Amino acid sequence: MTGIDPETRIPDPIELDRAEEERLRAVAGLTPVRASGGEYAGFEQVGIPDRPPQTEREREVYTLDEGEMLVNMGPQHPSTHGVMRLVVKVRGEIIVDIDPVLGYLHRGIEKLCENATYTTVLTYVDPMDYLSTMHNEHAPAIAFEKLYGVKAPPRAEYIRALVVELNRIFSHGLMMGFLALDMGGITPILYAFINRDEIVDMLSAISGQRMLFNFFRVGGVNFDTNDEFLSRLGTWRGNVMKNIEMNERMITENEIFRARTIDMGTLTGQQAISLGVTGPNLRACGVPFDVRKAKPYSIYHELEFDVITQQGGDSYARYLQRIAEIKQSIHLIDQIIDKMPHGSVQAQVPGIIRPRPGRAYGAVESPRGLYSVYSISDGGPNPYRFRMRDPSFISLQALPKLMPGRLVADTMAVMASLDPVMGGVDK
Amino acid sequence: MDLELLLGVGRFLLATTLLLLLTVPTAFIIIQIELKVIASMNLRLGPNRIGPSGMFQSTIHGFKVLAKEDTVPDQADRGTFTLAPWMVYMAAAMSMLVIPFAPGAIAADFNIGIVYFFAVLGLSVVGLLVAGWASYNKYSLLGGLRAAAQMVSYEIPLTLSIVGAVVLAGTLNFSELIIWQLDHGWLLMWQPVGLGIFYVSSLAEVNRTPFDMVEADSELVAGPFTEYSGMRFGFFFFAEYVALFIMSGILVSLFFGGWLAPWPFPAQLEGFGGTLYGIFWFFLKTYIFVFIAVWLRATLPRVRVDQLMSMAWKVLLPLALVNLFVTAIAVVVFDL
Repeated sequence: MTGIDPETRIPDPIELDRAEEERLRAVAGLTPVRASGGEYAGFEQVGIPDRPPQTEREREVYTLDEGEMLVNMGPQHPSTHGVMRLVVKVRGEIIVDIDPVLGYLHRGIEKLCENATYTTVLTYVDPMDYLSTMHNEHAPAIAFEKLYGVKAPPRAEYIRALVVELNRIFSHGLMMGFLALDMGGITPILYAFINRDEIVDMLSAISGQRMLFNFFRVGGVNFDTNDEFLSRLGTWRGNVMKNIEMNERMITENEIFRARTIDMGTLTGQQAISLGVTGPNLRACGVPFDVRKAKPYSIYHELEFDVITQQGGDSYARYLQRIAEIKQSIHLIDQIIDKMPHGSVQAQVPGIIRPRPGRAYGAVESPRGLYSVYSISDGGPNPYRFRMRDPSFISLQALPKLMPGRLVADTMAVMASLDPVMGGVDK
Repeated sequence: MDLELLLGVGRFLLATTLLLLLTVPTAFIIIQIELKVIASMNLRLGPNRIGPSGMFQSTIHGFKVLAKEDTVPDQADRGTFTLAPWMVYMAAAMSMLVIPFAPGAIAADFNIGIVYFFAVLGLSVVGLLVAGWASYNKYSLLGGLRAAAQMVSYEIPLTLSIVGAVVLAGTLNFSELIIWQLDHGWLLMWQPVGLGIFYVSSLAEVNRTPFDMVEADSELVAGPFTEYSGMRFGFFFFAEYVALFIMSGILVSLFFGGWLAPWPFPAQLEGFGGTLYGIFWFFLKTYIFVFIAVWLRATLPRVRVDQLMSMAWKVLLPLALVNLFVTAIAVVVFDL
């Protein structure tokens, strides 16, 4: 056996682990393992540091009375709309309290955006609320255009409005399907996906991608309309009402569906405003607030439409509100196509934008509510601060207020009617 | 004397073996129907790779389940955990004993066949409750308790709904009941209310949509079956579809004339040909009701557990009692 020089031997991985552990223990303020000169203690004895002290709210949720138990719904539950965990305190099947635990899908998108140039920010926001990608791009585009002082050409604004309304239709359509799916109806979701596929194929014809379209640019859009897009749009427009009504017939008048949604998860207008709920969920409570009307952006001041509201404020009203908005969007699309001007679709903008120091706010009406972006520039090529207000996150706040006293079965049904998307909640 | 006894035992063993063997293809066929029918109702293709137009998809699923690892949770109560699928499956298989497939093709032609049927079918709830308890899982526990509440409540209107028919026909024997229908017309015409109650309750009893509370996948993951894997899960799955077949078969026997053809000229035939003729009509009618159950699953959402309960106790039970009362009075007054 050839001798190995003991001085140059490769360090034992376990030795390395021990060194690392010593360092960690020193950081955590624990006594070193071998301080007493004893044998190596091993990892088991290191222990997990204590939880941070509970807040008052946590103490309220996690203290169990006689006959209560905690059920973890998620993060791998079949119907939490992505990865969310709901800690549900139940007494039998009756919900006593709910604690939504978020963050399982956190990707740090705001921070990523602060390290990206203004042009590339529009690609990072795509996977946030993955059912309303066009809206995700629209709000930062508006904010950056204000910041840089550039205006998109009129044709670009019309194309923006067109794709955004198409996106709203499929997002609302999917909500119909998911609401039924969470009550055990398996067919509406598939009909909704057929409708969605038609729209998504159309949008991929214009943008080149199927889900994360990456279509908006600062000062315009990426491509002009093309023949495939327009022919698909024509075909879709021909049978969209039939498709929507086919799906609607299965749900709207269904006795079981009505029994499970009417008077379920009722929000009053006052409650919704104080929680900050916006969008269809707010309008379903009878509050006529729509960013497209209240603070018109893009070309919405040129289009004719009314703010639709419902009176109930319950799950059923929220569902009806979505149906009404789908029909309204189709009406808007007709107007947009009628009025669309000719011209360029992209303003003259350099590759790397360096806006003057300042701040700008861009807000759009996304399918889930007021989606807005607040951006601060320090004169550099990337935003100094980039903050997004996601409506799903705020709608979700209403859930612990709505659920106590209801049954476990209603959790998912009410949550589906609020239509949160976890990609947006966790950012 | 001894020979007769031996023959009887032999016949019984043969019949039970055949019935146990019948459960397997029955489950496969119904799962395949469900896959294909729901797919076409959803405007999908459904399975289309294995066999002609995907015919053997469910069979392959069945064998796949056999090959899967069978895990038991650490904290589970091993004994009862293992026993539960067996209990559910046996309840379904045992109730097949009294199903009248055709004249001469009944495994056990008791004079109390109807009572036996409801007694045995109700046993499956014990299995579900045990499964829910033994799994050491909160979803399973909730599912098991739901199963107990639901099946115990629906057993009552289910049983009461056919008492009217029994009073009319004056027998608790399935084949005599069918012969009565040969003479007097199908019970569908005599007991329409009973039929309605029976159909709704039977859907609840076999946990089919819209009453599939027990394994409500969007609420309780898979209810009492959450922790089961491999063939133990397969047994639950099989039992569910076999129970659907049995319920449809019993519905056909009680209200749609069982093995009788839908027209009076030859409603039934004699001899071996008659048995085949009866089996044909029985299976045809049964699978029509299986199809309707699948159709309902593709169409309807699920009711909530409290709505389910209030329906059983506030609607179906009083209705069943009124139906029984009216039938009994009619039998006395018109001397039927």
